[in-house]
Amino acid sequence: MLSSILDTSTVPVLEQVVNFTQARHGVLAGNIANIDTPGYKTRDLSPEDFQENLKEAIEYRHRAAESPTYAINAALAGKKPVTGYDGMDQVRESMKHVLFHDNSDVGIEQQVAEIVKNQAQHNLALSLMTSQFRLLRAAITERA
Amino acid sequence: MFSAFDVSTSSLVAQRTRLNAISSNLANMSTTRNERGEPEAYVPRFVVFQTDTEMTTSGGGQGVKVASVEYANVEPKMKHEPGHPDANENGYVAYPNIDMTSEFVDALSATRAYEANIGVIEITKDLGQRTLQILA
Repeated sequence: MLSSILDTSTVPVLEQVVNFTQARHGVLAGNIANIDTPGYKTRDLSPEDFQENLKEAIEYRHRAAESPTYAINAALAGKKPVTGYDGMDQVRESMKHVLFHDNSDVGIEQQVAEIVKNQAQHNLALSLMTSQFRLLRAAITERA
Repeated sequence: MFSAFDVSTSSLVAQRTRLNAISSNLANMSTTRNERGEPEAYVPRFVVFQTDTEMTTSGGGQGVKVASVEYANVEPKMKHEPGHPDANENGYVAYPNIDMTSEFVDALSATRAYEANIGVIEITKDLGQRTLQILA
């Protein structure tokens, strides 16, 4: 029962956002650490790709929740497993493939700006998650 | 909100490029030879900025980019130093025509502009955090 409460909320989505921002933070930190390394190419995880994957996964979850046949049809059309598939696995998997470098030497200012933006996104996801859990706790304890 | 970050960052990059040009001018204040070792006074350079139309905020704010690094159109300062190895047939040595005072003022202005943009970034961050406080 608890898993169904947690899975139908936005918590799994926010979890993926936090996963992604943490992974991206590591990559950006590596760029800053190597700011003076000769021949080093800056790396990044593409937030656009991640958002796209996440969007697909969320849409899949919604459709599958609305009509039970959708998951079966999707399984027949694509190669998605019928049971136990919530789309989030794909997002998790896709993070391993979006590491790229565009051959450009980006300065420290851009890197720091990206880290700040990434941090803001991370904090936003965590705050949303905290308020979700606060609602849950309010329901359990029957007081806000 | 994130595009405001990019606009401020573009200015940080531009102002640092400008500061680099000023450092180069001050470092080469007495340079009498070019990179090939021939007698030729260093020509001061300056950075030209241009609004970056590819980087705009939703409110119409525009970023900045370095359009080019130009050479100043000034004659070298001729100094009478007959014993100098780079002196011409009349005994004059071509020194770079760099005005230290204006270079320093430019450096100060570039530094202040850099600081101002960091201030804007801090405000943008603060705005975002305050929006988040509504949730928490």
